[in-house]
Amino acid sequence: MRKIFFAMAMMLLAPRAFAAVGCDLNDPDRDAARLFPGATYKTSYLSLKTSGGVPLLERVEARLGDKFHGLYETIDVPYTLYTMYKGGAAAGYIHGVNQKGEYGGIQVFLALDKAGAIKAFYIQKLTSRAAKALRSKEFAAQFEGLTLKDFEGYDPVSGKAPAGSKAAAIKPPAGAGADFAAVLRAVKKNLILMDEFVYSKKAK
Amino acid sequence: MNVYAIAYKNLLRKKTRTALTAGGIALSAWVLATLLGFNRGYQQGLNRDIDNMGFQVLLTAKGCPYEAATLMLKGGTGLRYMPEAVVKTVYKNPEVDRVTPMLMHGVFDPDKGENGAVAAYLGVDAGSFPEMKPYLEFKQGGWFSDNNAYMAVLGYEAAELEQREVGDKMLIPGVDKEITVAGVLKRSGSQDDGTIFLPIGTVQNIFNRKGLLTGLGIKVKKGADISALENRLYDLPDVQVVSMSAVKATIMNLVNSARVIVLGIAGIALIIAMAGVVNTVLMSVMERYAEIGIIKSMGAMPADIFRMIWTETAVLCGLGGAFGIGLAFVTARLADAAVRYFLPYAPNGALVALDWRICASAFVLIVVGGLASGVYPAWRAARVRPLEAIRIEGEQ
Repeated sequence: MRKIFFAMAMMLLAPRAFAAVGCDLNDPDRDAARLFPGATYKTSYLSLKTSGGVPLLERVEARLGDKFHGLYETIDVPYTLYTMYKGGAAAGYIHGVNQKGEYGGIQVFLALDKAGAIKAFYIQKLTSRAAKALRSKEFAAQFEGLTLKDFEGYDPVSGKAPAGSKAAAIKPPAGAGADFAAVLRAVKKNLILMDEFVYSKKAK
Repeated sequence: MNVYAIAYKNLLRKKTRTALTAGGIALSAWVLATLLGFNRGYQQGLNRDIDNMGFQVLLTAKGCPYEAATLMLKGGTGLRYMPEAVVKTVYKNPEVDRVTPMLMHGVFDPDKGENGAVAAYLGVDAGSFPEMKPYLEFKQGGWFSDNNAYMAVLGYEAAELEQREVGDKMLIPGVDKEITVAGVLKRSGSQDDGTIFLPIGTVQNIFNRKGLLTGLGIKVKKGADISALENRLYDLPDVQVVSMSAVKATIMNLVNSARVIVLGIAGIALIIAMAGVVNTVLMSVMERYAEIGIIKSMGAMPADIFRMIWTETAVLCGLGGAFGIGLAFVTARLADAAVRYFLPYAPNGALVALDWRICASAFVLIVVGGLASGVYPAWRAARVRPLEAIRIEGEQ
């Protein structure tokens, strides 16, 4: 009875709110098959708010080395997780994040294997003078095999990675400037979120 | 002998019955007030949604898609144009209050999705468009003031997708032009949420469409004959008239049909309350048959007895009505949420709009209905013969 009363009270008192926008594949059937050939997928929705709240947000920010900022990078952003299956068993994940770029939003998707290594890198949407190079196969290929460990030293504020690290070895396309840094921040954020949402939980 | 004091004491004597009767009346008052509030709220919301379209008539070049969604579906092609001179022609009509010229343009953006997609821009007049859409509120910034500025106002969803805030730059694909974000709108629940607004002169310059329009929004003077205006606009060459007033009239006809049903249910609630009152008060009179006879034998006139029973009825209805209306206020949000859940379309804003007029109407209806229901039991009580009543009591 108390639960019903509580639910009714919440409905009466809760302010009307619109959820923040997430990052979904435009055409999941086609895109998932391309990023993870031969696999089927199941979709689930996660957010920092529902997965751990403010402490989780603070932990993610600390690991990222940058605060979540702006109107749209908020605690309630829903993240779409595509769990990929092969032969009935989980084979990996596809996960995307929105990132503010110089001229518009950048949507960076990563296809990850069960251990958290990048199998495929895909920029779904980008507005940039260097868009063609940033969306090229050559640029994407540089991310294959990298893990969160390779980005741990990358500082999104200065846009610099420790010399000799695999993140430092990623070559920026000519003229990409701020958008290249934004893409690296998005990749690091994506990997951290996946670690918090999936891999750390599995390890526990 | 004070009949009011006796009436009051009698109500307290049977507390459970009094509470149950008042509770029944309260439920009826709650249903009545909520339905009346819904009737008003839904109509207000619908009117607001339709008026929020900003203009009642839209003029476009014949065959031109007039919504961004259609433009996207057609891959950014199929736009047709009309000359800016049409503004002057339209203004000559006495029914026209204001007009706002628009120019839509779609650009293929190869960097959206796997195979690219269309980005649509709506060029609007910095002076007249904001006046036509006063309901649009800003989350950040404001409208541009120069029709040739390289500035943009973004609907909330467009801004969210592009992760843009005031002062940020945008790049128009294909033409390599930078524009600065002047404002980000709050969510409006309309197609404006996904729109990128640019000054009309800027769109004409960037896309080489000087002197051309794709649409002209027309706001008609209050009380003006929209049909007469539309008939005259049909005569203009190579334009099509999209009338929002026809859409509004159709929706309002449907809503009026639904109103009859809603008011019917409200009427049933009132009848149920009245039946409950008749039953309870009549039962109370029958139980106190001898008592009423004794009161009459002590000198009470039929009018006194009538007043006593009627007072009981009035108190029951007053208490129940007030409590029910209070309940309607408290549960308005809950009712709102429930109606939204079940209705396929619900307009923006409060669906159950309760104000003092509705509350007063519901209260008066309940009290008047209750008093009318109390007439028969009060009349029966007033007709009790003292000797007969005492004799029957003695026989029992």
